[in-house]
Amino acid sequence: MSFGSPYTTLPDFEYHKPTSLEEVLGLLKQYGDEAKLMGGGVGLIAFMKERLMSPGHVIDVKEVKELKILENSPGNGLSIGAAVTLSELLEGGVLKKDYTVLHEALAKVADPMIRLRATLVGNLCEAIPWVDSPPALIALDATVSIAGPDGSRSVPVSAFIRGPVDIDLGPSEMVTAVKVPHAKGSQSAFEKFTGGSEFSLASVAVSMSPGGRNKRARVVYGSVNSTPVRSAEVEEAIKDGITPGSIRKAAELASEKVECVDDVLASAAYRRHLIKVITTKVLRRMMSQ
Amino acid sequence: MREVSVTVNGRARKRMIKDNELLLDFLRERLEVRSVKAACWRGECGLCTVMLDGHLVKSCLVLAVEADGREVKTVEGIANDGELAPIQKAFVAHGAAQCGFCTPAWVLATHELLRTNPHPSDAELVEATGGLICRCGTYNQIREAVAEVSAASKPHRQPRESLARA
Repeated sequence: MSFGSPYTTLPDFEYHKPTSLEEVLGLLKQYGDEAKLMGGGVGLIAFMKERLMSPGHVIDVKEVKELKILENSPGNGLSIGAAVTLSELLEGGVLKKDYTVLHEALAKVADPMIRLRATLVGNLCEAIPWVDSPPALIALDATVSIAGPDGSRSVPVSAFIRGPVDIDLGPSEMVTAVKVPHAKGSQSAFEKFTGGSEFSLASVAVSMSPGGRNKRARVVYGSVNSTPVRSAEVEEAIKDGITPGSIRKAAELASEKVECVDDVLASAAYRRHLIKVITTKVLRRMMSQ
Repeated sequence: MREVSVTVNGRARKRMIKDNELLLDFLRERLEVRSVKAACWRGECGLCTVMLDGHLVKSCLVLAVEADGREVKTVEGIANDGELAPIQKAFVAHGAAQCGFCTPAWVLATHELLRTNPHPSDAELVEATGGLICRCGTYNQIREAVAEVSAASKPHRQPRESLARA
């Protein structure tokens, strides 16, 4: 991505505004590779200005009623339609209690004007290494619901993101929703370090199920590699409880074992340091809750 | 080309546009609403901020065709019968502008904040205007202007934190 590009216009395209899922799938079938779906447009419009994408057809899904669904129930968990905006998610209060890690990750995304238009599914589908929603969703064992010409399928978020800006989605397919299993009684939190810039240099998403036999911990790092990184070592270290001792051990292990990359935003060594700091911070906060 | 009809500051405006036009260009170039500034073009600086159906948006990230049949308000639309809105007067009184390029966006955004939350805390002001940048650094004067309007609005109540930290 070349920042500061002189592009201020968009490539030519035809704009479509379907109102039903059936219509969207029909358009995707017709135009395939030539089409791009637009939710909030925050990412797509920026990409088009940079000419990283020049679709012949833009399909605006904001008014598709099936994609506006936002539901939460103990049986089915949380279902977030592709056209649900970050503001709708945050303001509904649905995340705060049982899906804290996602609430904390989204509440700090960009600014209120962007969150008013940006969607969670759009954010996820960009699969940019430094966006904050994927680690939080992976920590919650979320799955992606996909519809296409051959029917529907479901993929874990961890497998859906194949690489940087690379997702498991065919040209005639679309993501209809993100589903998060109900996490009642679990504890979760998110922490990131941005260095004052707009991008996370390192982030961590933690989720702990309630104690008992099915106890489990998820620790996922974002912005440190081309895709989110789960750390089995850190999960093992805190599985039996968050204590000052296990926090110290987890932070050491995280810094040692999580694979970090060097890039224009930060060096791998700096990221390893940041990982230690944010792991300690997030776990201390969870311990005191 | 297609025809769109957008109500801008209470007046219905019809124009032929291309599908790939930005709302920012539609307002500035086709309708000559020049208070809407074009600066970063990528949703960072917030100087192209307008109200779309009652919500603040960055018009460089909205297609003009999306505004068809909807209502846009810019800073020109907040004065009442030629009399400046309280926040506009406060901006003048506190010198909350240096070069003035970002001022329309700040006036619009703080006007909207005070409408929905007449007594914002400093944290709420910072959060609500997090998408706006003033390169001259008039943030403290903007704080003072907002604090003045907030203090003057009824029911009178002290802001939770002092807005005018300067």
